[in-house]
Amino acid sequence: MTLFIQQLFNGLALGGVYCLAAIGLTLVFGVLRIPNLAHGSLYMLGAYMTYFFLTAIGVPYIAAIGMAAIVLAIVGVLLERVVFHPLRNSPHTHHMIAAVGAMFFFQALAQVIWGADFRRMDSPFSESVSIAGAQISWQRIIIIVTAVIVLSLLAWFIKRSIHGQTIEAVEQDRTGASLAGISPNTVSMLTFALAAALATIAAGLVAPINLLSPTMGAALDLKIFAIIILGGLGSIPGAIAGGFLLAMAEVMTSTYVSSAVGEAIAFVVLVLVLAIRPTGLFAKAVQR
Amino acid sequence: MGPSFTSRTARALAAAVTTGALVALAGCGGGGEAGGGGGTITIGYSGPLSGGAAAYGTNIQDGMQMAVDALNEQGVTVEGGEYTVELAALDDMYQPNTAATNAQRLAEQDDAAVIFVPHSGGIQAAQELNSGRSSFLLGAYSSDPAILATGNPLSMMIPPSFKSYGQPFIEQVKTDGVEKLGLLGTASEYGHSWTGLVTEEWEAQGGEVLTDNSIDYSTVTDFAGPVSQTLSEDPDVIFLGGPSQPTALIIEEARNQGYEGSFLIMDQAKFEEMELFTDPENLNDSVGVMPVKEYEDPGTADLVAAYEELVDGERPATVEVSLHYQSVALVVKAMEVAGTVEDPEAIRGALGDAMGEVDDRFRVSGFPTTITDAGHLQNEDLQIAYRNDDGDYEFIAIENAED
Amino acid sequence: MSKFTIQHLGIAVVALLLVVAPFALAGQDYVLRLLTMAATYAIAVYGFNIILGLTGQLSLAHGGFFGIGIYMVGLLTTKQEWPFWAAFAAAIVTTAVLGFLCGVVALRTREEYFAIFTMAVGFIIYLVLSRWESVTNGMNGISGIPFPEGFGIVDFENPIVMYFLVLLFLAAAAYITHAIRRSGVGRTLIAIRTSEDLANSIGVNVGLNKQLAFAASTTFAGIAGGLFATVQGFVGPTSASVNLTFELLMFILVGGLGTVMGPIVGSFVVTFLFETMQDFQSYRFIVLGPVIIALVIFAPRGIVGYLNAFVARRRRARARRSGTSAPSVQDRGPSPEEPAGSSPSDTRGAS
Repeated sequence: MTLFIQQLFNGLALGGVYCLAAIGLTLVFGVLRIPNLAHGSLYMLGAYMTYFFLTAIGVPYIAAIGMAAIVLAIVGVLLERVVFHPLRNSPHTHHMIAAVGAMFFFQALAQVIWGADFRRMDSPFSESVSIAGAQISWQRIIIIVTAVIVLSLLAWFIKRSIHGQTIEAVEQDRTGASLAGISPNTVSMLTFALAAALATIAAGLVAPINLLSPTMGAALDLKIFAIIILGGLGSIPGAIAGGFLLAMAEVMTSTYVSSAVGEAIAFVVLVLVLAIRPTGLFAKAVQR
Repeated sequence: MGPSFTSRTARALAAAVTTGALVALAGCGGGGEAGGGGGTITIGYSGPLSGGAAAYGTNIQDGMQMAVDALNEQGVTVEGGEYTVELAALDDMYQPNTAATNAQRLAEQDDAAVIFVPHSGGIQAAQELNSGRSSFLLGAYSSDPAILATGNPLSMMIPPSFKSYGQPFIEQVKTDGVEKLGLLGTASEYGHSWTGLVTEEWEAQGGEVLTDNSIDYSTVTDFAGPVSQTLSEDPDVIFLGGPSQPTALIIEEARNQGYEGSFLIMDQAKFEEMELFTDPENLNDSVGVMPVKEYEDPGTADLVAAYEELVDGERPATVEVSLHYQSVALVVKAMEVAGTVEDPEAIRGALGDAMGEVDDRFRVSGFPTTITDAGHLQNEDLQIAYRNDDGDYEFIAIENAED
Repeated sequence: MSKFTIQHLGIAVVALLLVVAPFALAGQDYVLRLLTMAATYAIAVYGFNIILGLTGQLSLAHGGFFGIGIYMVGLLTTKQEWPFWAAFAAAIVTTAVLGFLCGVVALRTREEYFAIFTMAVGFIIYLVLSRWESVTNGMNGISGIPFPEGFGIVDFENPIVMYFLVLLFLAAAAYITHAIRRSGVGRTLIAIRTSEDLANSIGVNVGLNKQLAFAASTTFAGIAGGLFATVQGFVGPTSASVNLTFELLMFILVGGLGTVMGPIVGSFVVTFLFETMQDFQSYRFIVLGPVIIALVIFAPRGIVGYLNAFVARRRRARARRSGTSAPSVQDRGPSPEEPAGSSPSDTRGAS
């Protein structure tokens, strides 16, 4: 039972990280129809920027994540302008290859700036708390809480704010949105900025319990793709449900079956779900 | 709409870039070094310089480069001719087949008679080449003796075999009442070989081996899950290890979750690196390989200091650095002894005689004293390290396992 | 039936270069090795060309099926001690059958879902190869894969002979692509690429055709994988990783999607480009990343696609000058010669 509670919290924390990272990816897909394989690299850069603000500048942890999110938002906009905007009329094969090129570049860049060796980032929340016999570190509780707060803010932003509503409008009906005078350029940039910032928050949160390395995003890429496909491309509730579902599946199968199965489970679930429902769990009408 | 002027120009440009690259390559294909005579000895190296294992690959490159610089400072004379030593390094991203391609390139284009490859996949792929198609001495850095099982006559295995460690590691921690072994190693090629070795040995000594929770250290986002799972079976000893940094994190996680037993740490993880990544106290009651700085060889202090200066104190010199440092010196000495910079068979044959003649500055961490028939470099005074409950290291002499 | 055009000249030049290369490079085994590897990859890229270039489905399981080909040959020749040719035939049959079965499920999904679904399939194949140790040796890989058994004076231990063996299969792959494109099947596939719904409404069995195309593409990947295993002698699971799929995708985009010569040109150009970049060591991807992006943005049709368009434009211009409109009819219409990379929204050749 203790083990179960322990793993429940581990699964929730992992789910929070997956959600934050996956939502950005699904937003970019929903609005721009771009399967951005470089999303994991943005996550990686976000972690390094947080590390930079924390160690080189010396700002407090939470502020460092915020500042890194702003920097990454700018990087996101640049990525959209320089790489994806010129490709807006190309098919997704071209987007994918361009994204792979961007991924190579970002990884190499991080290696040149910060070196290839692992970095460790300390968080002020290093203590742990005992819940029903299980030792849960504060960092994991912070991850879960932050994920909930950020997701709520995001929901509010998209439903209530003007900028957020333009995103939703474009996602639902591109032609209609442009007839209503919404500039697709602004929306594209806004989406990329938001996606990169969310990935940075995820990375900043997870960095203290893992390590920083130039390839830390690559392992995440495949998983968050599985998540957004599972949830239904472009669907935010889908990404949230998919994120927690896969994290739980991963943690619980590793615990009760075997770690090798745990590694594969995300993809097995994905294949099974798509075999039964070819458009994911929360499918919505996909526009062309 | 037809393509505008600018986009057409740009396309032409892109095409030109590609064509240019091709032409450049064709040029370098025809060129190559003018064959040995010019007074240059090229030492080849193919390792992971980018990607997930880049830290490992670049550390090794540093160690080799330091040896090359030191050799040039001293001067290298073979058969009366003065030679300058050069390191030619290529990136293989840990891919076996890329390593083989690189090895062939180094042997043919750069005339490297000795090529170092630091991962067993790449070593085995390169062995397919030097057993006929191409001729070079392979400096094989992998502690898995399987790399010598192929009987390749031109291989030189650099580190001690991991099989030497299994039994003494376990004897160190398996005292009375210690029964259960948890498995939490990395799911890499030799992580698995290690897990197998430890399992077999633990059972042979009458212990119980719990569920194998091996995970891929490089792709797992949060180690808490696998650690909780391992601890749930209440192990007395946990076997683990992969790259030092994640290993340190897992040890810390286990201690945080209340684990008080010992750790068996496989040779890939190094105490001196782990100490930098977690409170060293977490490492108490662990057995692993000996830190380089603890050796008392004539060149140890100098290399440790020089390396620290090179990397601005960011990381300590590990055996990857020191063993490559001394191996480069050894093969160059073997060239001097054999009187050839080109013939890999002669160089291989001279390794044993060269050992005694290498300058003291290159004797850093267990400089080899013998080479087996199969090509394994061994030091008779092999030791392991036990970090006791007070955080002090104790050293235990062990035997080299038979290959 | 058609005249000797400039395209034919291009094909003849490429073919001649490939045949002459090993003799011109006598003694340079390393370059020969690169040529052999590029040719091996090019065969797999032809598989990509069928499913993606002709049918318009982006299958990212390709690296996985390449891996199945590798492991069928690797395991059967070493553990079961089968002769190479038998193992190779088994690899071809297995990848064809598995591809067909996988297609039954995979092709229920469409577009991006299909792409990511197949990416997951590819990754699962990789995980099986790397973690199912009792059968595959896990991360340790397989060493000592033998050369094919020779006949008479043909001895495959000679790298030049090996190269020609691969080249033979490459030529066959190119010819099959050419033949498919000119046949009714090719037109059917292109119709599917243009619009599945439309193809359906004119009575094309979209499902079956896509499935066959998918199986054909995985078979090509399996053939390439089988050859790769024997050429290399040692293989590990990283040879079947998802990264390989993206490398192959890059080959075909650089060469020209949907064209007959694109896979060959792309594979050779990119392989050699990567090799040249080696001199930059750990910095090479700082250069290579932007180069890839620039190629996709500025040369989306690939080298062969670009040359084809250039030739077509010249021909039309000449036709206009000489006042006859006949040659443009003989052009077989725009579709087959045009790259498939362009979605309907992309502009097709200037008119």
